[in-house]
Amino acid sequence: MVSSLPSPALRRWRRVVVAAVVGITLAGVVAGYSGSRVLAWQMFPEASRWQADIVRVAEDGSRHSIDGPWPGGYRWHTLVTESGLAAPSIEGNAAYGIDTTLDALQHALTWVAAHTPEDGETAYLEATVWYRHNADPPQTVTLRSPVRGEP
Amino acid sequence: MTLDVRPANPADTPGGPRHRSRLERLDAALVAIVDYRALVPLRIAVGLLVLMHLRPMLAESAGGVTYRDTFHVPVAPWYPEVPEAVYIAALWLGAGAAVLLAFGLFTRTASIVTAIVVVYNLLLTETHYHHNRAFLAVVLVWLTLMPVGERVSLDARLGRTPRTGAGWGPRWPLLMVRFQVATVYAASGISKLLDPDWIGGVVLQLRVESQLDVALSRGVPAAVVDVAASSSFQWWFAKVVVATEIFIGLGLLWRRTRWAAVWIAIPFHVAIELSAEVELFSYAGLAALVIWVSGRSGDRTLTVSPRWARVVRAFDWTGRFAIDTGSGSSLADRDGSRLEGRDAGWRCATLLPATFWLAAPWQVVRRRRRVDSPEP
Repeated sequence: MVSSLPSPALRRWRRVVVAAVVGITLAGVVAGYSGSRVLAWQMFPEASRWQADIVRVAEDGSRHSIDGPWPGGYRWHTLVTESGLAAPSIEGNAAYGIDTTLDALQHALTWVAAHTPEDGETAYLEATVWYRHNADPPQTVTLRSPVRGEP
Repeated sequence: MTLDVRPANPADTPGGPRHRSRLERLDAALVAIVDYRALVPLRIAVGLLVLMHLRPMLAESAGGVTYRDTFHVPVAPWYPEVPEAVYIAALWLGAGAAVLLAFGLFTRTASIVTAIVVVYNLLLTETHYHHNRAFLAVVLVWLTLMPVGERVSLDARLGRTPRTGAGWGPRWPLLMVRFQVATVYAASGISKLLDPDWIGGVVLQLRVESQLDVALSRGVPAAVVDVAASSSFQWWFAKVVVATEIFIGLGLLWRRTRWAAVWIAIPFHVAIELSAEVELFSYAGLAALVIWVSGRSGDRTLTVSPRWARVVRAFDWTGRFAIDTGSGSSLADRDGSRLEGRDAGWRCATLLPATFWLAAPWQVVRRRRRVDSPEP
């Protein structure tokens, strides 16, 4: 069964929609090779592992683990619940790849530093991250939040 | 389960207008009217899966907690954020619409509302984005353009559907969702093919090694674990995985290989569900396989005893059969051929989603035997 062909304008509109869907779908796949995971469909891309020790660095330079007392009663795992970042001290998988995990952790440090107003002690947060990209040798990187209170 | 092995569009048939330009043929293919009865199970499954997807957010929102109260990263600075109370109301609205979608009540409106809520929520923060959720959203968006609520629905029970042509609609949304679903498998396989660590088995071996203790604690024999963790086994197995994904993705697009691709996709999704945490992906992937079912329902007449008629009706989720009751069993197929007795039973079993996977290989074997030993 074939419907009566619609008006030329409607046919053009439908062609545009179809072309856009095909284009966006393929563009999402291609963009996945430059870092974007949205619509890239790269499932289980790596077997990378990571673990991080995160501390609050006070204005006097003292360092306090986020697992210890935190002015304002904050807890890391209640502030950061998504992206596999809730328990950074436990070694885990980098589900979407280590680059995505490190990027998310950097964002998380920034967000937590900016959303803990009851904490009058911490200058910034610092994460010492151990990671291993697939079977490559382990590496360590340090991530820091912006200094709190600075514009 | 039967798959779309013949063109639904008469314009594609030998008598069709082959002299048309490519654009005209494209238009004709897009506007061909097809039967969406087979996608009813997908409508129901998507409604339920959306509820499963929203449930944790609804539970948190009941305590006044939303994504705003925890770490989140806006996908784009221009992406609109609504007040928290409106956001919570939208989540509940989406859940309610998902229920209506599953039951098929005010289906078109319900599907649109559900899709808006799910897509908005998905793109609200990068922390909400997961492939399985995006897959669900893609299927949901295309469902909004399909008349999937006009049969096997409360809308149909209440007479809220067209008197003629209920459940039939333009083909282009079906073609689009097929393209996007096939892309998911193919893109995943190709990304692994291009990654030396993946195709070389390193990624799989490391993933298995990280699960060794779990496997042993669950009673998997040590000898099996040793083999699974060996680099030589994973070197080969990685190629099997990559080939499987690519074959499913490409095989679904061609009628000749569609049967096999669907048949392989079923254990593929089951294996993923058993071996990895993928939220809703396995369920959504399995449910979405009905998009490859032929666009015609009820064009096979099955005559069976009243008892078997009840059984077949209960399992004929994609609406393949017009069922008559009578003595003996026979199946008048869409091509005019007629099967009797066991032949009819086996053919019927290959067309039902619940028995397709077991019956389809046996059906192939029986056909081969018939070809190898033709009657004199």
